[in-house]
Amino acid sequence: MRSGLAALLGMGVLAAVPPALGFHPYYLFLLSTAFLLAAVASAWNLLAYAGPISFGHAAFFGLGAYGAALASLGGLSPWGAIALGGLAGAAGAAGVGLLSIRLRGAYLALGTLACAELLRGLALIWSEVTGGGAGLAGIPALPVLPWLPRVLTEGRAGAYYLALALLGAALGLFALIRRSRVGLAFAALREEEERASLLGLRPLPWTLLAFALSGLVTALCGGLYAHVVRVVEPDLVFSRHYSILPLVMATFGGLHTLLGPAAAAIALYLLSELVLHPLLPALHQVGYALALIAVILYLPGGLAGLRRGGRRAHP
Amino acid sequence: MSAPLLLTVRDVHAGYDDLTVLRGLSLEVRAGEFVALVGPNGAGKSTLLKALAGLLPVTSGEINLDGERIDGLPPYAIAARGLTLIPEGRRLFGPLSVRENLELGAFLPKAHARREETLRTILRLFPILQDKHSAPARLLSGGEQQMLALARGLMARPRLLCLDDPFLGLARSVTDRFCQAVHAITSEGITILAAGQHVRRLLRLATRAYLLEAGQVALTGPGPALLEDPRLSQTLLELGTGAWQRPA
Repeated sequence: MRSGLAALLGMGVLAAVPPALGFHPYYLFLLSTAFLLAAVASAWNLLAYAGPISFGHAAFFGLGAYGAALASLGGLSPWGAIALGGLAGAAGAAGVGLLSIRLRGAYLALGTLACAELLRGLALIWSEVTGGGAGLAGIPALPVLPWLPRVLTEGRAGAYYLALALLGAALGLFALIRRSRVGLAFAALREEEERASLLGLRPLPWTLLAFALSGLVTALCGGLYAHVVRVVEPDLVFSRHYSILPLVMATFGGLHTLLGPAAAAIALYLLSELVLHPLLPALHQVGYALALIAVILYLPGGLAGLRRGGRRAHP
Repeated sequence: MSAPLLLTVRDVHAGYDDLTVLRGLSLEVRAGEFVALVGPNGAGKSTLLKALAGLLPVTSGEINLDGERIDGLPPYAIAARGLTLIPEGRRLFGPLSVRENLELGAFLPKAHARREETLRTILRLFPILQDKHSAPARLLSGGEQQMLALARGLMARPRLLCLDDPFLGLARSVTDRFCQAVHAITSEGITILAAGQHVRRLLRLATRAYLLEAGQVALTGPGPALLEDPRLSQTLLELGTGAWQRPA
């Protein structure tokens, strides 16, 4: 309950940022990217809540980006295209879940990573559809919603608020699931699948549902990204970043917590781009690695574990 | 006039990868009975319960629940047909709360529909679970965890409740309360098949009992009568020396 209030408060503060920054385009773009990463980290965390630790969320981000880009270029309205990209990501994620249903631990990690790399390769070579290495350009911009005040939709502010809304939706979905019967099933399967099946829970449909929901949110982020950047390339949207960063951020912030992954994503990304990048242009990614190592060694519950009284060995 | 057959086990062979534990075991349980399984370590008590719940493959023979064949079905499908196993060693969901553990017990639709009613009955009998309903299960004492495991099994409102060493570490008063809970939850009484080390306590409770030896039934009869049978103490003394430890 308290983390729900904190989330609403945080959203309110973030909504007030663009006017405070004088709608500076660079910072707004940086922040909207941070929100998209936070939403992906939250979606990754939703899957982890049901058990599977994925190394392949780039697959779902890329599916969403390419799906939305193709639909948009094909004449569908950008909103419909993003929704379609989301569905493509959900279906793809369910497929990955089905393929890796018998895999656990490191094998599951490798399996999901392989799926993401496979899709990146496919996007590279299937040039008639995907444009190959050059990707797809000329994706239409998001239309301005006439019923909103212009100041909220113009320039980078539109992308900023949309990314923030998507983050809010991702957090809302996670909060809803965690309190529901679905969340109970996810937690039981995560803790001990055999025990859960003795209580009548069939693992397959629940696991596929977790994959599909996580893939849906991740792909919606990909679709929005495609319409903000207005170009998709295999190495851009199927980048391993989207597989590894959510894992780092969610672990850093606190696995299975509501706000930890998103808060850590925003903090780590801004730290990396605003502080480390100017200092160490070639090596700024090292910050993510160091953050992950520090959390694994010293804070097994992530930053959220601090609030619950420090070190808490994770089961 | 005897009650209808609920469970029939016919000539079952089962075990672990390279170790056959059950060697042609046959037994039956009628609706409403409390059947005890006793025997030395390694005789096949736990193996039988795991095979019934679908945790171990049955290599030959047949298991029927209420006339429907269940061997070969996955554990969740067997649970959905009304057979609940409370495995030995408590097996709770440690990080989840007491309340969540109980709700998971009633996850199947039929049990879910009546979960509030079942929960009230259970909490009246085990008030400690009410006091600690939001605590993570792993923070409960050993006896409380055992109570929670039993309560979670009852939440499923099973037709056949299989218990593996259910009274391990429980005071006798708690055992009695558990039996009260069973009778309270359904007037006709949940059918129980219980295995365990507490031979005297189990046989006093049981309407009928089986003595297992080397994966087969060596002796059967009413619980108290079995307790008097010289073959019982003979088997338990001869084979209960650790030479027949069950595989880990």
